[in-house]
Amino acid sequence: MADATLGFSGVSVGYHGSPVLTDIELNVHAGQRLTLVGPNGAGKSTLIRSVLGLVPVLHGSATVLGRPPAQARSVTGYVPQTGSLDAAFPVSARQVVMMGRYRRIGWWRPARAADRAAVREALERVGLADKAQRQFGVLSGGQRQRVLLARAIAAEPRLLLLDEPFNGVDAVSQEAILRVLHDLSAAGTTVVLSTHDLAVAREFSDLVCLLNGRQWALGTPAEALTASALRRAYGGHAVDVDDGRTVLVEP
Amino acid sequence: MIEPFTVPFMGRALAELALLALICGPVSVLVFVRRLSFVSDALTHTVFPGVVIGFVSGGAEGLFAGALIAGVVTAVLLTVLTRGGALSDDASAAVVLAAMFSIGVVIVSRRSSYTSDLTSFLFGRILTVTPRQIAETAVLAVIILGVLLVGARALIFRAFDPAGAAAAGFRIVWLDLWLNVVVALVVVAAVRAVGTILVVALLIVPAAAARMITSRLAVMAVLGSGLVLLAGYGGLLLSWTASVDHGISLTSASAVVLILVLAYVLLPLGALRLRRHPSGSVRPERTSPHELVG
Repeated sequence: MADATLGFSGVSVGYHGSPVLTDIELNVHAGQRLTLVGPNGAGKSTLIRSVLGLVPVLHGSATVLGRPPAQARSVTGYVPQTGSLDAAFPVSARQVVMMGRYRRIGWWRPARAADRAAVREALERVGLADKAQRQFGVLSGGQRQRVLLARAIAAEPRLLLLDEPFNGVDAVSQEAILRVLHDLSAAGTTVVLSTHDLAVAREFSDLVCLLNGRQWALGTPAEALTASALRRAYGGHAVDVDDGRTVLVEP
Repeated sequence: MIEPFTVPFMGRALAELALLALICGPVSVLVFVRRLSFVSDALTHTVFPGVVIGFVSGGAEGLFAGALIAGVVTAVLLTVLTRGGALSDDASAAVVLAAMFSIGVVIVSRRSSYTSDLTSFLFGRILTVTPRQIAETAVLAVIILGVLLVGARALIFRAFDPAGAAAAGFRIVWLDLWLNVVVALVVVAAVRAVGTILVVALLIVPAAAARMITSRLAVMAVLGSGLVLLAGYGGLLLSWTASVDHGISLTSASAVVLILVLAYVLLPLGALRLRRHPSGSVRPERTSPHELVG
């Protein structure tokens, strides 16, 4: 059997020796869609960064496509939160997407026709081919997020990681992003995204991982997002409503 | 307008400034997008004692070596210290830089030719540039442009999105060292011609001014080089005219910088006039014009 895309067993991750997240058990295969759910500060971003090899694994064994995380970066794509980037940076949408090709291009040679084609195709997939020459900063939040998704696609990853891709994103862009992610997973790319939107988690995922300092549940949306699991992970912020569902309320 | 440059020392000064223009355009773009004006400023403070110690112990030859050693050591130290936000305390960093600068002043003040030496270290001696110095600047220019060309893509990626660049497999600390050393080499190349104080202007103003009228990085680099060249030509001409025709003593390097700063002030006005005409959605999204003096 082929290696799992993500194989985390008894993993703790954190900074300077002190764990941020413990008890991580993940076994995710090619083409699966995994959603990381949890409140702010739960460690969702930390888990994503550990898959990228940017946060050290303190205990347990972690592999990404059969390799140690840091050695799998050539096959992983990462979509940061658009809010973390400087909107005034003088760069066009096309140039941002081209950054996804930089590792393939290497240090010495200029971009080739294949690189330009990959950039064009990625922009088309996210529906922004006509915005290629626009300044990244003048695009809307949702369009910027789609440009960053196009950048990750241009790298042709086998594992795609998205950190809160729907924060500050309009409904049109959210739909566009979800559609692209579905297509990618159907074609065999594993997709991992973090969100605090339970509706997205229920509709989008094959697997949901419920986090808050540790892994509280893992399974299909129905298995992982139960009322009792949500209450355990969210404490007093998870409240039962009349139709039997559990919703989250602001503290 | 060309005649003054037929005088050999004027021609050499212009050649030196043209070489500096070639490197300062592209380098200032990276300094601008990485917001490294602090590093540039720090370098000018720490290169100063290097220049002085080099000069005192080995004359004009030692000056170059002293600047090079001080510049590269500072670049490495700054990379290590700023890694992981260890150098978050601006005040303590500023104290260290002021101390370095004072050490330079103390050493130079022990010499009998104190005032003229100090002036030349701070403001350069563009009019006494020798052919050998021009050759050295040319070699440094080739090295700097070569190193920059290879690293440009990764350096811009890192400036735009450090987390994304790291996730793509780029080693951020090496890229930071790379750029800091490049900036140090520019300071070393420019320090004899325009002095430690004015080199900051050459590293910051070209890109900041070009940014007012374009948002394309490559265009910014070319425009930045063009601006330094124009300012170099205009500044030399101005100081020549002032002293030959009017008997006013105007140091050439400060005239160059004055014109550069003037361009920085005037360009947005020109750009504003262009934008009055209805077109596009160009916004004058000015990031901080950067603190020019530390």
